[in-house]
Amino acid sequence: MKVKNYIAAIVFIFYLGLLGYLYLGIGQGKTYPAKPISIIVHSKPGSAIDYMARKVAEIARKYSDVAFVVENRSGTQGLVAMQHVLDMKADGYTLLGVTKSFLSTVMVNKSKVSLDDFLFIANMVSDPEALISNKDRNFKSLDDIIQDANKDETQVWIGPGTGSRDHLMALKSWETLGIDANWIDYKSGPQSILALLRDESAVYVGNPADIKGKSDLDIISIASAKRLISLPDVPTFNEQGYDMNESMWRGFAFKKGVPEEAVEYVTRVLQDVVNDDEWENYCNETYVFSNFENHEEFTRRIVQETEETNHYLNKAGLLALYVNEGPVNMIVVLLIIVFVVFLLILIFNKFKIKNFSYDQIIAGGIISISLFFYYQTILFQIPETVNITSPSLIPRIWIITLVLLSVILIVKSKSVSTEKENYSPKTVLIIIAFLLVYLVAMQWIGYFFTTPVFILAAMYLLKYRKIAFMTINAFGFVLFSYFIFNKLLHIDLPLGWWFI
Amino acid sequence: MGIINDLWLGLQEFGQLLPILMMFIGVIIGIIVGVLPGLSPSIGVALMLPVTFGLDPISALVLLVSVYLASNYGGSITAIAINTPGTPGAVATTFDGYELTKQGKPLYALITSLTASTIGGLVGTIILILFSVPLAKLALSFESYEYFALGVFGLTIISSLAGKSPLKGFIASGIGLLFVTIGFDTQLPFSRFSMGIPDLADGIEFIPALIGLFALGEIFYSIEKGDNIKPEKTAKVDLSKTLSIKQLLKLKSVILKSSIIGTLVGCIPGAGGTIATFIAYDNAKSSSKHPEKFGKGSLEGVAAPEAANNGSVGGALVPLLTLGIPGSASTAVLIGALMIHKLNPGPELFDKEAGLVYGIFISLFFANIFMFFVGLMGNKLWIKIIAAPKSLLYPIILALSFIGSYFIQNSVFDVGVCIAFGILGWLLKRGDFPTAPVILGLILGKMIEENLRLSLIKGDWIDFFTRPGSLIIIILALVSLFMPYIKKKLMKKAKQNIG
Repeated sequence: MKVKNYIAAIVFIFYLGLLGYLYLGIGQGKTYPAKPISIIVHSKPGSAIDYMARKVAEIARKYSDVAFVVENRSGTQGLVAMQHVLDMKADGYTLLGVTKSFLSTVMVNKSKVSLDDFLFIANMVSDPEALISNKDRNFKSLDDIIQDANKDETQVWIGPGTGSRDHLMALKSWETLGIDANWIDYKSGPQSILALLRDESAVYVGNPADIKGKSDLDIISIASAKRLISLPDVPTFNEQGYDMNESMWRGFAFKKGVPEEAVEYVTRVLQDVVNDDEWENYCNETYVFSNFENHEEFTRRIVQETEETNHYLNKAGLLALYVNEGPVNMIVVLLIIVFVVFLLILIFNKFKIKNFSYDQIIAGGIISISLFFYYQTILFQIPETVNITSPSLIPRIWIITLVLLSVILIVKSKSVSTEKENYSPKTVLIIIAFLLVYLVAMQWIGYFFTTPVFILAAMYLLKYRKIAFMTINAFGFVLFSYFIFNKLLHIDLPLGWWFI
Repeated sequence: MGIINDLWLGLQEFGQLLPILMMFIGVIIGIIVGVLPGLSPSIGVALMLPVTFGLDPISALVLLVSVYLASNYGGSITAIAINTPGTPGAVATTFDGYELTKQGKPLYALITSLTASTIGGLVGTIILILFSVPLAKLALSFESYEYFALGVFGLTIISSLAGKSPLKGFIASGIGLLFVTIGFDTQLPFSRFSMGIPDLADGIEFIPALIGLFALGEIFYSIEKGDNIKPEKTAKVDLSKTLSIKQLLKLKSVILKSSIIGTLVGCIPGAGGTIATFIAYDNAKSSSKHPEKFGKGSLEGVAAPEAANNGSVGGALVPLLTLGIPGSASTAVLIGALMIHKLNPGPELFDKEAGLVYGIFISLFFANIFMFFVGLMGNKLWIKIIAAPKSLLYPIILALSFIGSYFIQNSVFDVGVCIAFGILGWLLKRGDFPTAPVILGLILGKMIEENLRLSLIKGDWIDFFTRPGSLIIIILALVSLFMPYIKKKLMKKAKQNIG
């Protein structure tokens, strides 16, 4: 009979032990560095910057007393990672992996996050932009590309993204080479390379590593001052008489306001990494130049290149695409739409509120949201400088279809009652409220305190009353999730803002 | 006999202690990853990637490939048990799998899904070994026109998913299609419909939406109906009722056909296993002798998507290994793994590293078989969970959905998305709107828009009908759209004739 009580007690004691283990260690250690330093990377594992960060972490083991640990936080072209670093304390334990693409990211997104919020510690590598083509084209030099462009009025250049570094490289190259070509955005590197393998375009703008393992492709030229050691046959722009350099750089930054000792320490470690033989191997393997720049040099570079990026983005008309009306205006517009839509349904129902069927309410909601989206499509500003189809085309097709179908539903479901049984949504609404409270509380006091409370409360609400099983499940679940996420999968569940 | 020689090389490469151990570990972790909502195969593979840095190339790749394979199966377990697709590829499995659970026959669904997954995986592996070169040509021949047509084809499946009211089904898919336009424009670097909210700039994260719509939506709906306090509503699970071999044999043609569909669609870069599961489900339904049972607990309805889902794993490796192009989110991580181990994916890999490539193939083969036995043992555990009282189970599922949504990007906003879609799913369910079309809209919307607009930049509307590939798919789409109605008409006529 009492076995379950014993189990419940043991589970609870383990839970208390876990709490002690997690929280008692916080805030200890005086001299920097006292704990591992995280490197936040803005892309998924396996990407170029992720690989670099992991290589740095690996080599740094020789030169640092504490470990460097890579953490991936992808999303919104790096804004998610930048924001995360700004949310953390400037204590020197959170390093951000930065790339040149961040320059355009902050401009294009008009975000609150600014590059001025960061202290750029060190630049590590320079990865030259490259013009790549299918071997069938028989391009041997930049002049061959120019010749082809002059013959063929619509020479096509492709790559991932509009306003991306690759796109800006294309714009810069056209200026330097004196040609007029068309940019087609294939969204991702792999899709671009597939298109190139099919010979859909003359030139693909990418980086030298893109041709690895693909014997059908050829690098025509790289935009760097000198040739790569591992690709000695690939000429530079300068050698062919075109004075142009364009490289992607990758380095590290702290949030501004970090202690001086942290900056010194990390700079020293990174310098040691760059001087290591393994680092040279890494650079040659991945077709990049090792290019260490300290805080001053790196910052100067960023100021200069920010200007240049701004120039090209402006030229392409990519900086004024959408006028943000502000949240208050948006809400007012939405409310007006909802009011009008339901007024029309009311008129259709001959002014009898009880004639509203559930389907009509849902359909009315859908029409309102659709029209609200339609209103926003009117605000899009499309530059004439780029070759695209309108961004509002597809949303409008979906909107019009949705509105038409919903109107049909409203007409069909006139005074048809779909409420078969009289259920009460009260418990559901309380559960949803619980979830929202749990969500907010978790950010402040952490996963490990809030989760058992939520589970117990929800079980109680759903009329479960066996206390031993409730205890085992609520606290056992926390132990289980700690084991699976923190230990097996190495994902840290949040400890809460109050405690960090 | 080049291929036998290569297979022998592969066997030597794989047949060592460490790779075999990694396969075992990979399968078990993969099933756990699949079972947990929010952990999709690609996230599972990505999470394991750092672990592989210290391993030799073959062990590293065997571990990742095993996780990839087994997580595709694992997703179906929760889909069947608690209507929560553990992975996007298991959405179609909920239609009949969860229905069977509600009827007290979860073991039927679990065994069918396990068998179909295993056979699907094996067929995919065999096709990969024998036909990777011609399949690479298929993958390469897919241009934006064909992708667009495939997306439209996928949408037409709604007419067979919608159940009672096709109108409501199409409205539901429209919601998904419209919501997926939130976020970065496919051609210009600006965020549409995000209203200046930074978290929305990238659009709605798919997996939290999926978890919300299915897991939360279902829980809210059944709490409202008071299922948690009606003891008779708890599924009565009869353990003695398992499937006989005879019943499984009846499914052989469905499983085989769906495995092939899965492999073929899987090898098209960017199309993905999830679309394959819907196409296989639709195909199984329209060719079934009992289409009326679909959505009400049909075993064929469980077998088809599961076979296709695991077949797609072999398919997705085709463009990865032959062209160096990742065919899915998971294989994109695998490319990273190859690079880190100084291997260059692409045609050269087959020449230079035949032992490694064929070692991976052979490991896939054994991983499938091992997965089957682990799955059989696991079924006993899942059954116990299903039989637990709902009022005990629901809070746990809610908490699990919570972490599942949270940790994809460590984002609290995503948890909010999950709750919002939970409310949406609940509101739709109350009005008898099917929720699966919303997911289909979310999956297909981007593919349709990106490729339509790319095609229009490159050419004209007419190109969709002059290119043989896209024309064939468009015709298939039309057939699939009108098939249910034509069938109904024919049935009526036949009945009248008899009458």
